[in-house]
Amino acid sequence: MADVIVDARAVSRTFAMPAGPVHAVRDVTLQIGAGDHVAVRGPSGCGKSTLLHMLGCVDAPSSGTLLFDGKDVSRLSDSKRSALRLTRIGFIFQRFFLLPMLTAAENVELPLSEAGAAKRDRQERIKELLDYVGLSPRADHRPSQLSGGEMQRVAIARALANRPQLLLADEPTGELDEATGAQIASLLDRVNADGTALVIVTHDSTLADRAARVLMMRDGRLEREIRR
Amino acid sequence: MILRQLVLMLAVTVASAAHAQESPPDILISRQLANERGLSVGSIVQLATDAAGTGARRFRIAGIYEPTPDPARLGAVPREVRMHLPDLLDVTRTPGVPAGTEYIANINVALADPKDAAAFSRDVNARMPGVIARPSGEAAGSAGPFRVLERFHLAIAIVTIVASTVFLLALTIMLVDERRETVGILRLIGLPARRVLMQVFIEGVIVAGAGAAFGLVLALLSEGLINAFFQWRYDTALIFVRITRDVALTSAGIAIPLGASATVLASWALLRRSGLRLVRR
Amino acid sequence: MNALRFAWRSLVRQPARATLGVLGVAAVGALLLDMLLLSQGLVVSMRDLLERSGWDIRVSASELPGRGGRVSSATRTAERIAALPSVKAALLVRIANADIERSNGSPITAVFQGVSGRSTRAEPITPPWTVVRGRDARGPGEVVIDTAIASAANLEIGSTITLRANCVGDREALPPARLSVVGIADFPFAGTNEDAMGGSLDALKAACGGNVGDEADLLLVTSATEPNQTAAAIRAAVPHLYALTNADVVGRLQQTGFTYFRQISTVLTTVTVSFAVLLITVLLTVSVNQRLGEIAALRALGFSRSRVVADVLSESSLIVGLGGLLSLPLGVLLAAGLDRILKGMPGIPAELHFFVFERTALALHVGLLAATAVIAALYPMRIVSTLPIAATLRDEVIG
Repeated sequence: MADVIVDARAVSRTFAMPAGPVHAVRDVTLQIGAGDHVAVRGPSGCGKSTLLHMLGCVDAPSSGTLLFDGKDVSRLSDSKRSALRLTRIGFIFQRFFLLPMLTAAENVELPLSEAGAAKRDRQERIKELLDYVGLSPRADHRPSQLSGGEMQRVAIARALANRPQLLLADEPTGELDEATGAQIASLLDRVNADGTALVIVTHDSTLADRAARVLMMRDGRLEREIRR
Repeated sequence: MILRQLVLMLAVTVASAAHAQESPPDILISRQLANERGLSVGSIVQLATDAAGTGARRFRIAGIYEPTPDPARLGAVPREVRMHLPDLLDVTRTPGVPAGTEYIANINVALADPKDAAAFSRDVNARMPGVIARPSGEAAGSAGPFRVLERFHLAIAIVTIVASTVFLLALTIMLVDERRETVGILRLIGLPARRVLMQVFIEGVIVAGAGAAFGLVLALLSEGLINAFFQWRYDTALIFVRITRDVALTSAGIAIPLGASATVLASWALLRRSGLRLVRR
Repeated sequence: MNALRFAWRSLVRQPARATLGVLGVAAVGALLLDMLLLSQGLVVSMRDLLERSGWDIRVSASELPGRGGRVSSATRTAERIAALPSVKAALLVRIANADIERSNGSPITAVFQGVSGRSTRAEPITPPWTVVRGRDARGPGEVVIDTAIASAANLEIGSTITLRANCVGDREALPPARLSVVGIADFPFAGTNEDAMGGSLDALKAACGGNVGDEADLLLVTSATEPNQTAAAIRAAVPHLYALTNADVVGRLQQTGFTYFRQISTVLTTVTVSFAVLLITVLLTVSVNQRLGEIAALRALGFSRSRVVADVLSESSLIVGLGGLLSLPLGVLLAAGLDRILKGMPGIPAELHFFVFERTALALHVGLLAATAVIAALYPMRIVSTLPIAATLRDEVIG
């Protein structure tokens, strides 16, 4: 495998609930290497999103070890994990989560300014990203003025702002029609082809079929892996 | 000669009971004076009209009383003495002035039926020129400072209500906005705006009523705390805050319509948009 | 985009809500400012009024000048005080109620101040009024009046005024006295709704039919040395009287007459700040709760905990800051209105103000508002800093 970005060793995640503990993820071991294209599939409630959150350092495993670039994530402080997410990981969500009071360009700018990029560098990178996703003419439009597909493209541009090694997408086409979903899928292929590792959680079989590796999950466990 | 009232120079000499020759006349002193001078019932004191002790007479303290709180003298320690009128006249009479030619300031009258006060006052004023009689209620009402304070408090209350209303509007707009999707769905399935507004109005009245009731309970608790604090602070029995039935009704009468109106106004602004716009995230 | 700019964009996203929040803070801030002005306003104003009068010690028969009792053997007492080495001048003041006749209406009731000065140093004696037109009253047949009397009774310099004065408080049928108006004056210690006139003690005696006795309501003293030393010397000379420096008078008033205003100022300041904290907390908390998904997404994208906390604090600071700025002109307007109401109180000198602008009050106002912004943001800051990112993202999808 090319350079390993994420190394998950027997990671589990358990939630304490009033009715008893819920084992959302059980003993999952996997590695994500540079440039990988991975899809995670399984029935609803099988732990796909929980696994994605752990890979993205948004959630910590209850047990097991998770290494990002060789560093044990559980030993990192919250601010260091935030810095990791800001510079090395990108996130795309089903609900887009664009800030409604900012324009498309300003939404893309957010991670750049948070990372401390100079103004000129930010302006250049925003233009580059919006060109990349084909939305330069809509730079000054607010999310309410964009279609679902356009909003997701802005979200992808935002996720790529700081040139992350790994892009995580949680049901990126979940709220889009088939045609628009296909456009997003093509864009994600391009992102991966340009060198960014991609892990997608999806119910969409056409989206999953584009991945080089498909991880099948059931009841929190990694059932099998299909490599193409 | 003007009868001096409460500004007597008190020259205090506590004499031993063993030295009492004939029993001096009785007086009452205020609790504050007793505490300040370490006096008690049975103490013999001398009262004079100046610090030099002019015309000093001996008196026996027969009792210690709590002075009627006087809001006009808030902060002043009531060092007071009460004595029989003939004794007061004796102490304050200028030498050479025959007894019986002195003046008094007031005569307080307790009527068999207090409702006769106005008629009685008119009768006295008509029969006795040079004497002014008026019901006690009017005397209190004619106290200028308290009318001014009433206006001051009203101005403060108005500003407070304005500020509260503004915040209330902001909050109701936010709270109504949280339900925009629900409202949008109801509109889309065919409920008329008026029906939604009526529901919102009823909710607003209930919430405002509950809020007003809670506010009254809070006010009643505060009433006790404020009175206790200021009574301690000024060593007085004065009541500073009193929640009367009228005050409670006025507060509720302002709060409930304000609260209900704010909710309806915020909802009306929302309902002007189409149902489709409301459900779109 | 820094936290402040981000907060601004969050606010203008909901302009109605933000405007109302700012206006609410402005109204509350105006009241807060006024209560802070009130807390020391009377003291500052009274101190200034006393110092401007030119007299720095007041001698009276009661603990507080003007609160009952008269100085007996006033002439001899004034001479004794004036003879003290530390005294420049002493002025005996006697006050009476006078009814001024007028042809076009019922009599005008006024306060007549009769004065008689003593100085062993040939010091000029300043009366407790300021002549604005004409000259001061000197002889027993002369008087100065205020502009209200001049206007109401249609009097001018050179006019003759007919009045009946009551110096002893008894009901007496006195013949009217005729005095010549030689000047129009300002009486700084006259009440707002009070008409005032002044003249020599002889003029007052003449107006009272001669039956006044040798008493004074007040003795005003100017000291040649430090006022406290002079007051001590006066107390030693006349131990049965109260000699109060201007600072003493202000101190006594703080304990008695002014105490209500200090207390209400404290109570209302506390209530106002608590009210503002509570309401801004609710505004911010509801606003944050409506945006939890966005905040979780930003955290997932790499925004640090301290950054999202700073965003909330910046939002609170903007609302309070903008409202605070607006509260200043509002507060000044409100203070003018409240001052007008309170000056209607009987016995309050017309030139006394309840609300006096002071830098310390403004600094305290700014400090309290800053504290309000911080305290109000504490709970919503806690919400965003402890936000479970994954759980919130999950809930947003389910919701």
